[in-house]
Amino acid sequence: MAVSYLYYVLLLALNVPLLLAKEVVYDFNVTWVTANPDGLADRKVVGINGQWPLPVIEVDKGDQLVVKMYNGLGDKSTSIHFHGMYQNGTNEMDGASMATQCPVPPGSSITYNFTVNQNGTYWYHCHTDYCYPDGYRQALIVHDNNSYFADQYEEEFTVTLSDWYHDLAEDIKPEFMSLYNPSGAEPIPNSWLFNDTINTSLSVKPNTTYLLRLANIAAFTAQYFYIEDHTLTIVEIDGVYTEPTPADILYVAVAQRYSVLFTTKSTADKNYPIVTVVDSTLLDTITPDLQLNSTNWLEYDASAPHLQANITVSESDSLVPFDDGTLVPHDHEPLLETPDLSINVAVIMDNLDNGKGYAFLNNISYTTPKVPTLYTVMSAGALATDATVYGDFTHTKVLGHNDVVEIILNNQDSGSHPFHLHGHVFQVVDRYPPMGADFYEYADATDAIAFDPSNHTAFPAYPPRRDTIVVPPMGYVVLRFRADNPGVWLFHCHIDWHLMQGLAMTFVEAPLLMQDRLTIPQDHFAACEAAGVADKGNAAANTEDYLDLRGQNVQPGWIPDGFTTRGIVSMVFTVLSAFLGMGAIVLYGLSDLKFAGRGDTAQVAVEPAAARDETRGEYQD
Amino acid sequence: MVNVFAVQVFFIVFRECLEAAIIVSVLLSFLKQSMGQPHQDQAIYKRLVRQVWAGALIGILFCLIIGGAIIGVFYSLGHDVWSNAEKLWEGIFFLIATVIITIMGMAMLRINKTKEQWRVKIAKAMVEKSKNKKKSKLLGDWARRYAMFLLPFVTTMREGLETVVFVGGVSLGYPATAFPLPVFTGIVTGLTCGYLIYRGGNAMSIQLFLIASTCVLYLIAAGMFSKGIWDLQYYQFQMGVGSDVAEAGSGPGSYNILQTVWHVNCCNAETDNGWDVFNAILGWENTGTYGSIISYNVYWIFIMLCVAYMLWEERSGKHSLRERILVVLAQVPGLGWYAKPKLEVLQQESDGVVRVVPTGLFNEEQAEQQMVEMK
Repeated sequence: MAVSYLYYVLLLALNVPLLLAKEVVYDFNVTWVTANPDGLADRKVVGINGQWPLPVIEVDKGDQLVVKMYNGLGDKSTSIHFHGMYQNGTNEMDGASMATQCPVPPGSSITYNFTVNQNGTYWYHCHTDYCYPDGYRQALIVHDNNSYFADQYEEEFTVTLSDWYHDLAEDIKPEFMSLYNPSGAEPIPNSWLFNDTINTSLSVKPNTTYLLRLANIAAFTAQYFYIEDHTLTIVEIDGVYTEPTPADILYVAVAQRYSVLFTTKSTADKNYPIVTVVDSTLLDTITPDLQLNSTNWLEYDASAPHLQANITVSESDSLVPFDDGTLVPHDHEPLLETPDLSINVAVIMDNLDNGKGYAFLNNISYTTPKVPTLYTVMSAGALATDATVYGDFTHTKVLGHNDVVEIILNNQDSGSHPFHLHGHVFQVVDRYPPMGADFYEYADATDAIAFDPSNHTAFPAYPPRRDTIVVPPMGYVVLRFRADNPGVWLFHCHIDWHLMQGLAMTFVEAPLLMQDRLTIPQDHFAACEAAGVADKGNAAANTEDYLDLRGQNVQPGWIPDGFTTRGIVSMVFTVLSAFLGMGAIVLYGLSDLKFAGRGDTAQVAVEPAAARDETRGEYQD
Repeated sequence: MVNVFAVQVFFIVFRECLEAAIIVSVLLSFLKQSMGQPHQDQAIYKRLVRQVWAGALIGILFCLIIGGAIIGVFYSLGHDVWSNAEKLWEGIFFLIATVIITIMGMAMLRINKTKEQWRVKIAKAMVEKSKNKKKSKLLGDWARRYAMFLLPFVTTMREGLETVVFVGGVSLGYPATAFPLPVFTGIVTGLTCGYLIYRGGNAMSIQLFLIASTCVLYLIAAGMFSKGIWDLQYYQFQMGVGSDVAEAGSGPGSYNILQTVWHVNCCNAETDNGWDVFNAILGWENTGTYGSIISYNVYWIFIMLCVAYMLWEERSGKHSLRERILVVLAQVPGLGWYAKPKLEVLQQESDGVVRVVPTGLFNEEQAEQQMVEMK
C-alpha cells in the first residue's frame, strides 16, 4: 500500500509537468480574403484559413507551440514573428525575414516550433518587408494559472487596438518612399479598430473583477486608453508581471501590451464608454473625416443606451497617461549594474540622394543583407564574431554571452518612436522626458536632449522591463539587458513605415554558441531555395572571403553638402558664358558708334516746288 | 533689400524711359534744326515744341490711367488667383519677360542708329501726310496739323504700357513696397540719360553707359530665363510634394534632388537677406538644377549668336533678319496689314526719304527766300 502510494506520488511528480506541457498546433494557410472591419471600404487583407480577423493564438505557459504556415498569397512573401517570445535556444523561429530566416515565397511552407517558457500578453505578425499593415497580425496569449493575480479576477478579455488602411501597404509604399515625400510624412490611417471592428462592447457583470489584456497591434499609431469611471490596475507589461499599480489613462504604443485588472460597479444600469484616443501628434495631416476618438462599451446592460464618450480635450497630448517607467516588476529584478558594452545610437530622419526619406540609427539606415544574418552566423565559422561579415548597412553589434548591454537611444527626431528588441525584455533605466504631461516638451525644440552618463537622475533600483519602449521626441531612453540569449536579434522602431525607412539595427549575441547550439530545420533552407535567397556567406553572399563585402546591399548615397565637382564645373561654365555673352554685347554696343553723329548733319536736298508750297501753307495758319 | 528695391523693375523702367526720352529728344532736335534757327519763325517753332511736350505728357497721363487699371485688375483679381500657383505664373511671366527684354534690349545699343531711324520715320510721316492729302481729308488734316503731338503721344503711351506690363510680369513675387523706389530712380536715370543724349554729350561715354546697363539688363534677362525654368520645375516638385515643401526650409526636401546639380543649405533667395538681390540680378537660387543651369548657358550662347549674326548683317549689308521675317509675314494673308507698313519703312532708303521731306522743314531760309520772291 505504502509502496503503491509512493509509486503514485512519484508518477504524479514525473508526469504532471509532461501532461501540462502540451503541444499546441496551428495550421495556417495564409491567403488573401476581403474584409471591411470599419464599414467604410472593402479591402484585400491577409487571412488565415480563409478567415479574417485572424485566430488568437492561445497557449499555456510551458507549452510547445507549433505553427505550420503555408504561403497561399500567390504574390508576396511572408513570415511570422511571435512578438515578445524570447526564443531562447530557438533563434531560427523568430520569424524576422533576412535576420533569422528567408522570406517564405508563395507556394512554400515553414514550420515554427518552440517552447513558450514565459507568460503574458503577446502578439504575432508578419515580419517580411511591410506586410502586417495588411491585416496579418493578431494577439498571442500565454495563460498562466500561477500568476500572482490569477485568483483576483473571474474572467479575462483580450482587446487589440489597431490602425487601419484602406490600401495595401505595397500600394502605399511608392507614395511614402517617394521623392515627393521628402519629409517622410507617414501614411495616415483611414480608421482605427478595436478588436478588429468598431462600436463593440465587452459584456460585464456588476461587482466583478476582470483581467483586460490590451495589445496595440497597429502599424503606426499609439493610442490613449481609458474606461470612464473605472480605475485600471496594471499587473503586466509586455509579458512581465508588475506590482499592481493603479492608472487612469494608459498610453499604448505600437507593439506594447498591458494587462490590467478592473472591478465593475455594483449597479448595472449604465454602460461605460471604453475610450481610445489616437495620439494625433504622430499624424502629419488630419482630415476632418478621420475618427480619432473611438468609443466602445463596458456593457452592463445591453438594453441600456450606448452613449458616445464625452471627450473634453481638443488635442490628444493634453491627456496625461500613466508613466510606465515608474512600474516595478513583480519579481523585483534589480538594476543591471556596470554594463559591459554601451551602445550609443541616435535616431535621425534624413533624405538620401534619391530624394526619399530615410531613418537612421547614427548614420546607418538598416538595409537587408543578401543572406539572412543568422545564416551568416552559422556559416562564418570563427569570423562570426567579426561584425564586418554582417555587412556595413545591417548595423550589427556582436554581443558577448551574458554581457550586460546598455543601449543609449537619443532621439534627434521630433516624433516619438516605439523601439522593440527581439528576444529580450530590457530594463528601462532612464527616459527623458518621462511619459506624462511633459512627454512632448521638446518636440519643437531645435536641439535634442542627449543622455549624459555623468549627469542624470538616479536609476530605479528595480527598473520596469518591457520589449517595446517609446522614446520621447528629442529626448532619450536608456535600456539595459543581459545578453543571455544567443541569437540574431533586431532592435527596431515598430512603426512599420519607419522600419521600411531603415530604423533598425542588429544584435548578434554569442555567435559561437549559436553555431554550437542551433540547428536550422530543413524547411527553412527550402524556403531560401524557393525564394532564391542565399543561405550561406557574408552579407554580400560571399562564401569565399567573408571579409569581402563587395556586392552587398547598400543604402543610397548621402546628399552632398554644397558644391561637388559637377556643381563647380557647371558654375564655372555659367560664369564663363555670362562673361562671354556680355563681351559680345560690349562688342555690339561699341560698333554702334559708327552711326553716331551721322544723323545730326541734316541731309539737305533740293525739293520740288509743289511740295514746298504745301508745306508752307501748312504752318502758316 | 529686394523688399524696397526690385532691381528688374528699375531696369525695365529705365529702359523704357530712355527709349521714350530718345524719341522725344530726336523730335526736339529735329525741330530745332529745321525750324528753331534764329532767323526762322519762333512762334511756329515754339508751338511745335509745345505740341511735342504736350504729346509726351498726355501720353504719359494716358499710360498711367490705363496702366493703373491693368495693375489694379492684376492685383485685385489676379494676384489671389495666381498666388495658389505662384511659381507657375512667376515662371511663365519670367519667360515672357525674358523674350521681350531680349528682343528689345539690343535696341538700346543702337541708340545712334535708332536716332537716325527715327529721323527717317518722322520724315516719312511728313511725306505720307503730304501725299495722302486726298485720303480722308478731315483726319489727314488733323493728323498733319498735330503730327508733332501724335508722335510723342503714341510713343510715350506705348513705352509706358510696355513698362506696366513688364513690371506687372516680374512683380508677382514682390510686395508693393518694392516698387516706388526703383520706378522713381528708373524714371530719373532714364530721363537723365535721354537728356544727355539730346544735348549730344560725349557719344563715347554715353555709349559706354548704355553698354554697361545693357549688360546688366541681359544679366537680369538670363537670370529671369533661368529662374523661369527653375520656377516651372519647382512648381512641378511642389505639386508633387504638397504643402510640406515650404516646411523643409533650405535643407533636404526643399528641392528635387534628382534635378539638382548643386545645392547649398543656405543662401536661400526666398528667405535669406542679401541673396534676394543676387536672385533679382543674376537669377540665383540655392539649388542649381539641370534645367536652370542649362537654360542660363543656352541663353547666353543664344545672345552671342544673335550678336554675331547682327554684326555680320550690318557689315555685309545683307537684308536684316527682321526684314526677311517681315517679307514672309507680308505674304501671309491677314498679317499683311501689320508687316507691310513696317517693311516699307525698312525698305525705304533712309537718305532718300530725308531727301523727299519738304525742304521747308530743313531749310526754312530757302523757303523764306522763295516766299520773298513770290511776293
